Amino acid sequence: MSENKKQNYLNHPKGLMSWILTLDHKRIGLMYLVSGILFFFLGGLLALVMRFELAAPGNDVISNEVYNNAYTLHGAIMIFLFIIPAIPGALGNILLPLMVGAKDVAFPRLNLASFYIYSFGALFAMYTIINGGVDTGWTFYTPYSTQSSSNVVPMTLGIFIIGFSSILTGLNFIATIHKMRIPGLTWYKLPLFVWALYGTSLVQITATPVLAITMVLLMLERFLGIGIFDPALGGDPVLYQHFFWFYSHPAVYIMILPAFGIISEIIPVHSRKKIWGYKFIAYSTLSIAFIGFLVWGHHMFTSGQSVFSQIVFSFITYFVGIPTGVKIFSWILTMYKGQVSFTPPMMYALAFLFLFTIGGLTGIFLGAVALDIHLHDTYFVVAHFHYVMQGGTIVAFLGGLHHWWPKSFGVMYNQTVANIAALGVFIGFNGTFFPQFLLGLRGMPRRYATYDEQFVELHSYSTFWSGILGLSIFLAIMNLFWSFIRKNKVDPGSNPWGGMSLEWTHTSSPPHPHNFEEEPVLQHGPYDYDKVIVEKTYNK
Amino acid sequence: MSEHHITPLKTYLIIASLLLFLSGVTVWVSYVDLGPLNIVVAMLVATVKASLVAFFFMHLLWDDKKNLTLFLMSLMFFGIFVTITLLDTEFRGDLGLNPEVKNPINNRAAFYDTLPLTDTHGHPVDGHSDDHDKDKDHH
Repeated sequence: MSENKKQNYLNHPKGLMSWILTLDHKRIGLMYLVSGILFFFLGGLLALVMRFELAAPGNDVISNEVYNNAYTLHGAIMIFLFIIPAIPGALGNILLPLMVGAKDVAFPRLNLASFYIYSFGALFAMYTIINGGVDTGWTFYTPYSTQSSSNVVPMTLGIFIIGFSSILTGLNFIATIHKMRIPGLTWYKLPLFVWALYGTSLVQITATPVLAITMVLLMLERFLGIGIFDPALGGDPVLYQHFFWFYSHPAVYIMILPAFGIISEIIPVHSRKKIWGYKFIAYSTLSIAFIGFLVWGHHMFTSGQSVFSQIVFSFITYFVGIPTGVKIFSWILTMYKGQVSFTPPMMYALAFLFLFTIGGLTGIFLGAVALDIHLHDTYFVVAHFHYVMQGGTIVAFLGGLHHWWPKSFGVMYNQTVANIAALGVFIGFNGTFFPQFLLGLRGMPRRYATYDEQFVELHSYSTFWSGILGLSIFLAIMNLFWSFIRKNKVDPGSNPWGGMSLEWTHTSSPPHPHNFEEEPVLQHGPYDYDKVIVEKTYNK
Repeated sequence: MSEHHITPLKTYLIIASLLLFLSGVTVWVSYVDLGPLNIVVAMLVATVKASLVAFFFMHLLWDDKKNLTLFLMSLMFFGIFVTITLLDTEFRGDLGLNPEVKNPINNRAAFYDTLPLTDTHGHPVDGHSDDHDKDKDHH
């Protein structure tokens, strides 16, 4: 038995081939995590280069052409190589089977194939960088993208391929959630992270094919001269934007829904209180996923689309605020009268609540047509989506990493350092992006390498804090990986935060290669803090 | 859990001949000019054929209804995409700012005929470019 206890998915089986050909969801999740974090650093580095260029007006650090490449690659890498694959691919893969009590995902081989398809697509993106970059912006708008001499084709081909990985992961998760739950684990007893992954997967399999179609149409026009988007050939450039945003707006929810799921796990566990409004949070996930399909035109208010559709899109956009508000208020009510402990995951969850709310509310500004015509393509938009994507998704991702780190890897990081890093992320983030709201309101357009004198103060302020933000994220990630070197192991049976879902109560840390040593039997729901007392156990 | 439905060979043959017949209809109808209805009829026949394949050859009719729901969802999302996009393309210029409400795409494209000719690097190749620059200055 003691022999058996030491055996976990990290040390058994051994050897390089056992990793390359692994079918274990936890190992595949770990591979996604490592590659995701590498791309996160690459994208972050590009962001810092841009910020240093923008510290003063004029071309001081890089030329206009390099700047165009930098913002395109920053966007494409962060979205297509990090955020979209990383949270479902890494945390979703590691946790979903554990949370539903399964030995693995429904299709383990397909899961490994998804990872290699993702890697193959990433190679094309890397080729683009080595071959001189691409300068169209991550949206690849026509007509420029059909004419630009930069590497539009390899980049779009890479995104096309990565899309398939996304679809297959989504398919796998849906089958797992439907078919692999242990007896008694009904839909309303699932952890909310599972609901979030379910909503995300639905969006992945319904929206991503449209991205693939868009990329194919773009290539058909470039190579064969078939008129789809080029008016001279009888096409319509705005049609490209319809195609692109029909995928890319739901993709925003592919990015944010798993983050909502993480927050729904962290807050009740670290407040030791039953989640408020379980069913409302679960159904708001599905309604966000659905409404997300009806609002894509709010990215196109200045594209020349008809006023009638402007009104329709603007009107429907406001509906997104309802399920999102339901979630935010439910999380706040969950904390009310709970035993809130300021552990690193909770610090990130609190930062998320603050930052995401700002991101969401400024989205309502931008959803109003009249105001958007003024703010479109300014730094206001840049600040808004960074508050959602970084302040929301990446902060939640960091929170989730800290929350499940001892579970996934059996080691505990230095919590004081982690808290300092979390505070640094929060302050650095606000320092970087809040001035950008003001810049946008004063008319600073996005995607320019230089600017007028009047913007110097706010830009240099933003650049200064972006350095603090970069250092804090670096510190947070290094602190996590340092825990392997510190060898501060947690006891295999420990439950450091007192979590109640299956991954905390029924499997060791790090988990056994087959997840559970015996078939788990469900004793309580994931948030039953009002019924059962779960001790926090930690060997220190 | 779920049992596989065994379809009699007769059903397959009936569906197959129905598909062949509908292929014939597609060919036949292409010789008849129905005006704007051409595309509608062609799509309708194609949709019926695809549905027959999905329901009988792919067993959707006898399968778990969840799969049918997913299939119908994909049609619904496609419908949403096309319908809402048409709200744009069919209503361009609906504020009366542009008189050419009909055929908006072709009318907009006509603008490109008035632009000065340029080579692939964007350099002007005839005398029109000077007028164009003057216009720019006025704005």
